[in-house]
Amino acid sequence: MIVTIQKPLGEILDFIAPYKSVMVVGCDGCTQPPRGIREAKTLAQLLELGGRLRDKEFEFRVNTLVKQCDSHLTATALKETMDSGVEAVLSLACGLGPQTIVRLYPEVPVFPVQNTVFLGAEEREAGITEERCAACGDCILGLTGGICPIARCAKSLLNGPCGGSQNGKCEIGQDRDCAWALIIERLEKLGKLQNLEVIQPPKNYGVVKRPAKISP
Amino acid sequence: MSEHTTEAKVAVKIEEDSCSRCTICASLCPFDALRKDAEKDKTILDIEKCQVCGLCYAACPSHIIDILYYDVDSLTRYLKRAKKQYASDTLVIMCKGSAPDLAGIEKLFGVAKFIPLTVPCVGRIPEDVFLKAIIMGIKRIYVLACDEDYCRYDHGSPVEGRRIMALNLMLSQLGYGKEAIVLKRNSLKVKANSDLCIGCGNCVFYCPWSAPTLASPGLVKVDLGKCHGCGLCVSMCPAFALDLDNWEKDRISMLISQLATEMASPKILALCCQWAMFPDLDEKSNSHTRYIFLPCAGRADTAHIVEAFVKGIDGVLIVACAEDDCKLEGAGGKVQQPISTLKGRLGQIGYGERIGFCTISPRYPEAFANELSQFSEKIANIGKGK
Repeated sequence: MIVTIQKPLGEILDFIAPYKSVMVVGCDGCTQPPRGIREAKTLAQLLELGGRLRDKEFEFRVNTLVKQCDSHLTATALKETMDSGVEAVLSLACGLGPQTIVRLYPEVPVFPVQNTVFLGAEEREAGITEERCAACGDCILGLTGGICPIARCAKSLLNGPCGGSQNGKCEIGQDRDCAWALIIERLEKLGKLQNLEVIQPPKNYGVVKRPAKISP
Repeated sequence: MSEHTTEAKVAVKIEEDSCSRCTICASLCPFDALRKDAEKDKTILDIEKCQVCGLCYAACPSHIIDILYYDVDSLTRYLKRAKKQYASDTLVIMCKGSAPDLAGIEKLFGVAKFIPLTVPCVGRIPEDVFLKAIIMGIKRIYVLACDEDYCRYDHGSPVEGRRIMALNLMLSQLGYGKEAIVLKRNSLKVKANSDLCIGCGNCVFYCPWSAPTLASPGLVKVDLGKCHGCGLCVSMCPAFALDLDNWEKDRISMLISQLATEMASPKILALCCQWAMFPDLDEKSNSHTRYIFLPCAGRADTAHIVEAFVKGIDGVLIVACAEDDCKLEGAGGKVQQPISTLKGRLGQIGYGERIGFCTISPRYPEAFANELSQFSEKIANIGKGK
């Protein structure tokens, strides 16, 4: 899932200060935490309260889309509301959402509500969400026992661990597991410790030409 | 939370010296709060374990247990008052845990006009109350208990079932017909609308009974046999795809609108777990405070809290049970996190101090009054919201 953090309400209020009719669009897709209709409605109400303190009255229209990064779905779902006259849009999706809407409605200002931070997995019981994939374009999980050193090692080492690994923790903070300690532990369980004897050549980050694009 | 000294007023007391030592109370108590002390030859009440269900009070043959809420005297006073107020000779006694709205009662029992009496567990209603009601001229008595497996006090619903059976036997011998008191059982459950489900899995994670399942994305299913109706999943669903019988979102929203208009500023709305705080039947209403009783603090939905502020409420106090007292497997404690997140966000726009959260128990009747007066004072000092 794509992990996001909400921007401070003051920043959002500043975005929409010049406008009255504002659409708040949630995203039911992979945005984490879920930014669906509940969040869209709650945000509109919080902004209404915040607006009152600034003597500013907004007219919010609240909506949620299946996934804002799909141009066709978004275009069809937004058409009616956009045609009825909306001065600005607040998107609750990851950074992809606002950009999809901007392409569809180039004349309407679109603002992000969320700061998009990483591709993460949620450990429900522990109550944490952690970065686990760096979208590098050349997956090496098959060699590393299913644990990604690109995303989970602070140095993205291919031949770890480094000297900063102590008691399974990373030198940048005791709250962070050393990815390579996890990899070794895992390979040991799998009986694949010999994987470590092969020195991995420097990673070819050129596999994905940035900005990346895929066409059929 | 306030500190309780040994002098703190308690809701249940036992006159140890007059006790006949029959130990019926100890055998009924679902929380092991009562036990016979063989050495002292006394029945001892451990108030810290007591949940004020009243089962012991209703069952004690020597009438030596005093209970603050819904005792025979206050119930009799209420019945006298309510008989006139509702101009009816039909009484419906409902457990809070299973009572649908009044329209639902009409459907369940086929009665349109009736005297409603909602209590936390019907198991606390002793024979005296039924007999006094009949003497008062009440012609029909209906009792709505929770399905036995869902009784928040374990034995309340089954015990009252047996009590009513025995009463009916007696009453039929006196010529009051075969079923003078009609008992029905009900429980309130979650309703899932999979058309709205976005497959996030919150309900599956949070449900204490593993009632919801998510077989494929967007297809939530709830095993109603497992659902205990706490409403936590409803409060956690980001897609509003779940709702709870009797505590539907629309119904709570309507209630908030209605209460907001009838209150005087500063307006305080208390969202109370119905097992944490019992209202006094005789209490006069205070024009600044209104209550919405929830099936569990787990149904204290952040959406309704924000909505209350938008509708002009000045302060919202969430009243929950402490973790050890929760009747619903800790569901009530799980909402603390979303509520504190909301408090942080409200803080960014100057509303943060307008949310209060407290954990109390009806065993200390003054605890809620103290929390409410402190919170009310704080809100009065902040002043009116815009």
